[in-house]
Amino acid sequence: MATLSPWVVGSGLLQVALFVVGAPLLLGLMRTVRCRMEGRIGPPIRQPWRDLRKLFAKGRTQPERSTFFFASAPVVLVATTVVVVWLAPLLSTRVSLAGGSDLFAIVFLLLLGSVALSLAALDTGTAFGGMGSSRLMTIVALAEPALLVAILALAASVRSSSLSTIIVGTLHHPIWLATPQRLLSFAAFVVVVLAESGRLPVDNPATHLELTMIHEALILEYSGPDLALVMLGEQVRLTFMLGLLANLFFPWGVSLSAAGLSLIVGVLALAAKVAVLGIAISAGEVAMAKLRLFRVPELLAGAFMLSILAVLSALVIA
Amino acid sequence: MWAVVIIGLPLLAALLSAVVGWRRWMPWIGVGADASVLMVGFVVALRDVHHAPISWAAGTLRLDSLSAFMVIVIGTVSVLAAWGSVRFLDHDVRSGGSTTRHALQYSVLIQLFVATMLLAVCAANIGILWVAIEATTITTTFLVGHRRTRNALEASWKYIVICSVGIALAFLGTVVLYLAAEHAGGTSLHALDWTWLTAHAHALDPSIVRMAFGLLVLGYGAKVGLVPLHSWLPDAHSQAPAPVSALMSGVLLSVALYAILRFKVIAVASVGGAYPRAVLVAMALASLVLASLLLVTQHDLKRALAYSSTEHMGLMALAAAAGGPLALTGLLLHMLGHGLAKSVLFLSAGELVISDGTTSISDAGGLMSRQPSLGGVVGLGLAALLGFPPFSLFISEVTMVRGEVAAHLAWAAIISLVALAIAFAALATHGRRLLFDAKVPGGASARTPVSVMAPLVTGLALCGFIGLSAWPLGPILRAAARVVTS
Amino acid sequence: MKSTSLPAALLALSSGLVLLCAAVALWRRTAKGIVGALRVQGFALAVTALILGVQLHIALLLVTAGLLVLVKAILIPVLLRRIVRLDPTGGETDPVVNVPASLVAAVLLTLVAFVATRPLVDVVPGVPITLAPFGFATVLIGFFVLVARRKAVSQMVGLLLVDNGIGLVALLLTTGVPLLVELGGTLDVLLVVVVLRVLATRMHAELGDLDLGALQELHD
Repeated sequence: MATLSPWVVGSGLLQVALFVVGAPLLLGLMRTVRCRMEGRIGPPIRQPWRDLRKLFAKGRTQPERSTFFFASAPVVLVATTVVVVWLAPLLSTRVSLAGGSDLFAIVFLLLLGSVALSLAALDTGTAFGGMGSSRLMTIVALAEPALLVAILALAASVRSSSLSTIIVGTLHHPIWLATPQRLLSFAAFVVVVLAESGRLPVDNPATHLELTMIHEALILEYSGPDLALVMLGEQVRLTFMLGLLANLFFPWGVSLSAAGLSLIVGVLALAAKVAVLGIAISAGEVAMAKLRLFRVPELLAGAFMLSILAVLSALVIA
Repeated sequence: MWAVVIIGLPLLAALLSAVVGWRRWMPWIGVGADASVLMVGFVVALRDVHHAPISWAAGTLRLDSLSAFMVIVIGTVSVLAAWGSVRFLDHDVRSGGSTTRHALQYSVLIQLFVATMLLAVCAANIGILWVAIEATTITTTFLVGHRRTRNALEASWKYIVICSVGIALAFLGTVVLYLAAEHAGGTSLHALDWTWLTAHAHALDPSIVRMAFGLLVLGYGAKVGLVPLHSWLPDAHSQAPAPVSALMSGVLLSVALYAILRFKVIAVASVGGAYPRAVLVAMALASLVLASLLLVTQHDLKRALAYSSTEHMGLMALAAAAGGPLALTGLLLHMLGHGLAKSVLFLSAGELVISDGTTSISDAGGLMSRQPSLGGVVGLGLAALLGFPPFSLFISEVTMVRGEVAAHLAWAAIISLVALAIAFAALATHGRRLLFDAKVPGGASARTPVSVMAPLVTGLALCGFIGLSAWPLGPILRAAARVVTS
Repeated sequence: MKSTSLPAALLALSSGLVLLCAAVALWRRTAKGIVGALRVQGFALAVTALILGVQLHIALLLVTAGLLVLVKAILIPVLLRRIVRLDPTGGETDPVVNVPASLVAAVLLTLVAFVATRPLVDVVPGVPITLAPFGFATVLIGFFVLVARRKAVSQMVGLLLVDNGIGLVALLLTTGVPLLVELGGTLDVLLVVVVLRVLATRMHAELGDLDLGALQELHD
């Protein structure tokens, strides 16, 4: 049913604004936690915003033989991420577009962003670009199906692929959180989040060596506003995935009606949950080492297996 | 009470051996125990022909006509094997092949092995049967690896892993059958009892019994040496010491087949004759054909004998598939005759190892000129195995084929006869090369000691005797076959 | 037992954990990791027996749970520890089937198990029965481990996975077989592990390492 009530539209815009503004702050928070745990003071929490501002003020460069793929990728990345944030049930389960919070739509939009970045890296014509592109595709090829199937396992219990329906269903039946499919799905989801956002053990966000990293090799040729957009896009993606993880598995605090007080509660709850998850990931990273690159498919295959087991459990036990 | 005596005798022998420690005459304890088991088995079997089954220990052990016959089979072959162990252990300890500790371990384990087989055939419920057959695997693993060579190690590892997989499948089948029994109103130990299951078989849910029977035949079929879990057999039987191979080939395989026979009765009553027959025919024919073809390319006598065992087990499984009094009588007689002939041949192979150090057919060729008496025994033993009259395998094979034709399995019988013909040609060629094609012609002929020849000639004589005379086994066989005719 | 109640959910969790441990045994490369998965599986089996025993008021199952903890979660991993320490390479460095392919195979085997146990689940009603496919899948994964791994420890773990899977099926299908059979079965598993341990020690003394690929002389 089309709901264009002003509250719903407003909450959608508020969601986008919150995420775009808050994503770099989340990254700053995660960096600070890691620094403090390693015994350093580290930069202030708003440092990522200062970096972005610095980059926006610089000029653009573009490799000689690159085409519109290179030029458009940062914009495509940010655009798809913003649309995904707008569509997903993060603050409230009432979404601006009817049927918009569809699982498949969201996962494919995320994939579109990754593919755009990968094509841009190929477009640069350098060896590093090709290397980063192929590595990203290896990871995405295993991680996206795992993500899709993991959320599908949750969808099986409500018989609908709409994320809002899943969240509402979980709120009404808290017992579902103790089922094997939830736990398996959670495990698979966490691995996918780590893989997609380039955190340990898949990729080390603290170093900038393009030879051993995936993320760095991809964006090597970007500078100035392009680089700022790419960085912002990736930060919003990380925040979005943590928000989705929080809402699908710990949905308390989500506003059901997108009105007044419940919306404020939703904002606070989401912020708290995402912050906690971010801190947990950062703290865990301090204890982990990066996996060798040829072991990463093993990890992701394991995540895929976990998500398939989740679906099978859902079909058997439902 | 009889059942306890039967199982207790070998256990007592094992205990006695362990207490006494290694002496030169110690293996004779085992021979004595096994001979007593044989006699008790005969007494019970002759009694049973007229009386009802005897049970003991709150119904966990039971002796009916079929169990009594199996006791006779186990007793006969184990007497021969224990007799052969005397020579084997004597030579092994003297030549330094094994220490006295290993020899003691061997003696104790062999009697424990015999005891577990007796427990399996006297078991009144399928749980005890399972435990007993698992116990046979455990006791025989170290016997197979007795020689502590690399090949023996590989054979024993393969043996225990594959047989444990099979036993695990059989356990699953047992659990599923228990589920069906519980559903039909059985409670606890009753639902595992043979008599209860046979009586209530028609009330068991067919789809559950179908799954159970498939698992049980696959699982216990691994211990019989049927395809698909058969690959342990050639390795284990060729690497084990000769008396152990004799026991395993001669009687352990038959004990596992006995279990399948009992389960078939229940399955047929529950799901009808077609499904159990199809499963058994498929496995039997596959084993027959595979074994006959592989028999052609063998270079080692013991490995060839092992494949011949698989082939005979396939024959017996085909007769089991046919069912009916004729086929089953032939099957049971074949168990005894095959046990006798196979153990004589394996013991001769053991003697070959002692005198020539090898069982390779080409290396040990010309046996007839080197040791005429041993060669004669091998020749006669091969003749028995190939089904020549007057040895009992002739009669049993003919009876089995007649039973299969009567049960509308003539097409399968024809395939089995073709496979038999191939195996016949292969074994005859191997035998000819072994007996007559000397590697180094013109050697002196040696005498084989009488103590070595005694068990071999006894076994052959018995095989010929039961092939010629219907007494005393005739009524025993008929009564035993009646128990598993569905 | 209602299918939406807490005990049913807990039962589903512990059965699912059994299957998960089997899959993790395929995933891990180090011998210690594989044996660790086996240990957790033993605990999960015991918890399943415990939940069933409490829910259905069968005292026998509580005894079974205790037995399972003692043997499968404590004794057997201790027995395996010696073999783990003997292995010089510390694990599966060169498996017959590589890890991602093994995991995909595990998924396929789970699907096969779910399909094959349809008739069983249809015929017999009750919540525990619907979880039987987890047990069958564990059995199939155990077989796969036997085939797809080279080291002695992995083969032993494969065999034990098959046994654990069958144990789970027995628990769920029949709410426990009679105690005599349970005791006999557990004792037999223990003895098999002891025998395999002795053989593996001999293998290490003969060959220097526990790679079963080196033992391939007997064949046709």
